[in-house]
Amino acid sequence: MHVLEIWYDSSRGNEGKELLCAFLKKLTNRSNLSLFCDLSRYLLCEVCVPDRSSLQLLEDRSIYNTLRAAVKRAHGDYGSALFNIGVIVKYLNAHTGVVLIRSRKKHYRLIWSALSFITCLENRGQMVQCFLNCLHVGGTIRTCQKFLVKYNRQQLHRMLPDCKTDAEKQEVRKAILSCSLSNVRDEEADEDGSDDDDDDDKET
Amino acid sequence: MEEPSKFEQYVYKNASVYHYMKISLVLENGNKYITDAQFKQLIICGLKDLYGEVGASFPFDLLKFDQNKLTGILRVYNSGLVKLWSALTLLGTYQNEACAFRVMQVSPFLLALSGNSRELQFGDQLTL
Repeated sequence: MHVLEIWYDSSRGNEGKELLCAFLKKLTNRSNLSLFCDLSRYLLCEVCVPDRSSLQLLEDRSIYNTLRAAVKRAHGDYGSALFNIGVIVKYLNAHTGVVLIRSRKKHYRLIWSALSFITCLENRGQMVQCFLNCLHVGGTIRTCQKFLVKYNRQQLHRMLPDCKTDAEKQEVRKAILSCSLSNVRDEEADEDGSDDDDDDDKET
Repeated sequence: MEEPSKFEQYVYKNASVYHYMKISLVLENGNKYITDAQFKQLIICGLKDLYGEVGASFPFDLLKFDQNKLTGILRVYNSGLVKLWSALTLLGTYQNEACAFRVMQVSPFLLALSGNSRELQFGDQLTL
């Protein structure tokens, strides 16, 4: 990791910092450059619903709106302001119900505490009863991806005794062996979040 | 020869767990009839607007309340002082009427609230 120390005049406000960041990103062709003051925390959560099929068409907008309402209820105007500044839903997988929420480092506990107050999601006009379970808190997307690979492998291990036929067992074993982070490096450039290519969640 | 008198000095940081605030409610259209329960409820509403359910559940006590002058003494834990004070500052209405909270004194010790050098009235015998 290379650390570059730059001294700039911050008397004009925040525009200087953003300009500098954009300039450096262009110069080095790296989009995942972050200044030390832009610290963030990524909350890896899982949406738990009683039946899987209602998760199908989940959108990140509905999670964002539900979370915003929950933070407003739990932490008032102060919470809403903090939410507006730093929180964004970075990634959502509708099949497994994995959500990656990004927030500022100073306020991630506030957002985390509001997660417990979510009882239902509004998805295309329908209310889906659910709860959000936080699996991991990471400093970067990459650490969350690494955790997700390990976690999915454990889940698959747990599914193995439940398999009824041998063919299913073979499929699950193959899925476990193919869990890896190998495809991540290409995707890191656009910082789209993981594509969960390491998760072959085969359910019967 | 007398021995020089000894003295000891104790310095406390954060001696008290609580902070005490002397506040008064000022209404635009003169005084209304407000009970102590309504007074506390008003402050809780202010906390709830600014800090949500979590803020409104923070424990604080109304120790004394004067119904004629609408003044009171609040007690709050040290960690909640900033939240309570900011909520009092931003509280603007009571039953659709403009109002304001004036914070007269804040101190970690209740005894300090008994005397206020701003309200001191000097009699004729100022100098001995």
